Amino acid sequence: MTNIKLLIIDDEVEFAATLCQRLQLRGIDATDMHSGGEGLAVLEKVAPEIVILDLKMPDMSGLDVLAEIKKYDPGIEVIMLTGHGSAGSGMEAMEKGAFDYIMKPVDLQELLEKINSAYEKRGKA
Amino acid sequence: MKERSNWLAKILPPPSDNIVSGADLDRGYKNFSRGLFGILIVLVLVPLAIISLLSHHQYKHLLQQRELDQLFLNLEQAQSTIEKFVAELESVIKFVARDDRYHELLEPKELQALFVRLQSEYPGFVDIEVVDSHGMQKSYFGPYQLEGHNYTDQTWYKEVMLRGVYISNVFSGFRHVPHFVIAVSRKHPQQNASWVLRVTIDGQTLQNYVDTISTTYADDIFLVDQSFTVQTRPQKYGKISEKCILFDMGDTIEKNFKKRTVERFMMVQKASDMIIVQKSFNGQQILQGVSELVNTPWKLVMVKEQYLYADAWFSFKIRLTTIFLSCAIVAIFVILEIGKAITNHLRESDKKREQFLVEAEQPNKLASIGRLAAGVAHEINNPLAIINQKTGLVQDFMEMSDDFAYKAAMREALDGIQNSVERCKKITHRLLGFARQTDVKNEEVDINVIVREVVDFLAKEASYNQIKIDFDLDPDISKIYSDRGQLLQIFLNVTNNAIDAIGSNGTITLSSRQIDPKTIQVSITDNGPGMSAEVQQHIFDPFFTTKETGKGTGLGLSITYGIVKKFGGKINVRSEVNKGTTFDITLPVANN
Repeated sequence: MTNIKLLIIDDEVEFAATLCQRLQLRGIDATDMHSGGEGLAVLEKVAPEIVILDLKMPDMSGLDVLAEIKKYDPGIEVIMLTGHGSAGSGMEAMEKGAFDYIMKPVDLQELLEKINSAYEKRGKA
Repeated sequence: MKERSNWLAKILPPPSDNIVSGADLDRGYKNFSRGLFGILIVLVLVPLAIISLLSHHQYKHLLQQRELDQLFLNLEQAQSTIEKFVAELESVIKFVARDDRYHELLEPKELQALFVRLQSEYPGFVDIEVVDSHGMQKSYFGPYQLEGHNYTDQTWYKEVMLRGVYISNVFSGFRHVPHFVIAVSRKHPQQNASWVLRVTIDGQTLQNYVDTISTTYADDIFLVDQSFTVQTRPQKYGKISEKCILFDMGDTIEKNFKKRTVERFMMVQKASDMIIVQKSFNGQQILQGVSELVNTPWKLVMVKEQYLYADAWFSFKIRLTTIFLSCAIVAIFVILEIGKAITNHLRESDKKREQFLVEAEQPNKLASIGRLAAGVAHEINNPLAIINQKTGLVQDFMEMSDDFAYKAAMREALDGIQNSVERCKKITHRLLGFARQTDVKNEEVDINVIVREVVDFLAKEASYNQIKIDFDLDPDISKIYSDRGQLLQIFLNVTNNAIDAIGSNGTITLSSRQIDPKTIQVSITDNGPGMSAEVQQHIFDPFFTTKETGKGTGLGLSITYGIVKKFGGKINVRSEVNKGTTFDITLPVANN
């Protein structure tokens, strides 16, 4: 799981930064960005294998960012972060190409499992 | 219109106005019921009483009038009969006293022969005498020695000379037996002087005659003279030759009538020679008719004790009272029933209206609270995520560090923070779940399978608490079209509440049945502590919970209610304290 290139896009700066830091502590090459635009802008530079993407952001919706990412590189796996207590929006995102979704507040163990699965899927592809 | 409704409102207070408590409401219905009863009773009984009184008055008047008419008729007949009788006697005497028979009748033999002939026809004739123009008796035939009387100064003689005829009152005189006299005067054709034929008639003759006309109708009939001295024997009202007791208060009826009219007399009918008065005599109501007998010195008195129609009057009163009372009783009974029915109807519709209002309010309440909840949950969720991550990071750092003082205590504190975050997370997720409006899937579902799945899910928890779960499922129940996931949520919430309510040791029964081809029902019954009416009223309100703090959000039944309504179903609760609770969830077979 080490050296996975991962990009976190979430407008909650503290959340994104802390999550990023915790993933880095677990050997993941994580970067955090705080808006949809910023995230898309650094895609080329960061070249993430996996993106953790907030569904609700002020500048762009998570679904739009997802579409852009998939357009840029369909191989990038995206795990959606959803604040809603519903599975509905997460499911919708999955229908549009997201690998999986996870609800806030995030259980790190669960997230690591999903990152692992996504990485494995990418490796197989 | 407004004024009318004001007075009506005073008598009939609308029961659901100014209601503070259930007791007020009950009092309101009672007052309404009482007011309604009062109004209807007055409306029914007043006309009934008026009609009864009118009938009473009218019938009484009718009976009295009939009685009076009858008396009037009888009096008239009797009057005419007696007048005819006296006239007959008078004309017989006039006939025998032909003008030129004076000298003939002076002969005692001739007078005797005439008298014998007369007496054979009229046995009441007592004696006969001839008086000359100077008032001297010239001839006499009879049982008494009365010859040679001089009548010059006597009233009767003056009267007969003046008027040609004289009829005396009944008197005893020298003869010492009651008798009366008829005298006629004749002009002597040659001497240009008058002479008089005078016949004495036994009083009994008059008595016999009056006796023959006594009718069954009258209680008494007799003759009086002009000063009300009784001439023939009354049966009840006086003695012969005495002043009649009916007339002891004055000289004439007219006078009496005028003096006493107010309290004693009531003149009820009057003809020219006839007067009938109604009065009280020795405590008895009587009708007293008095008629002048023309060409006689007498008056005819007829007395009738009221009422001839006493039987008819009594039976009429009994019948009237019976009819009035039975009508009143029937009216009271019917009005009571009507009042009860109307009040119950009103109570029912008030109840329905209230239920309707509560039901209509519920979705609104849910929607607005749902929006508020979603907003709060969403706002809290983000800082919560940050706390969660920051705590995680501190935990990460701590695990990476060597031992230091208080490391264990710090780990414990951080775990505590994480546990609280976990609790908050559950709450916000549930709040968001409550607010979310997801599309309803429409798939064919076997409700019995769903119920069993719910129980599988809760079986472990139930068995920990020694709770037995029974099924009473209708195997032939229709499959329904609905959202399987949300149906699971409905039954899960209700069954979960049942487990919480029982606590430990108890039974939960899940039953399903077909109500009609279009509707099924699932009932979840527990034998837990039950709920008061107060609690039952609020169980579907969001955030209403009876569970201890931290154990329930108060959203479970609210969400359940929302889902059931969305499916076009109904959820009802029946509960009794210390007996248990049943939730009846009714669902349509086809989900629209």
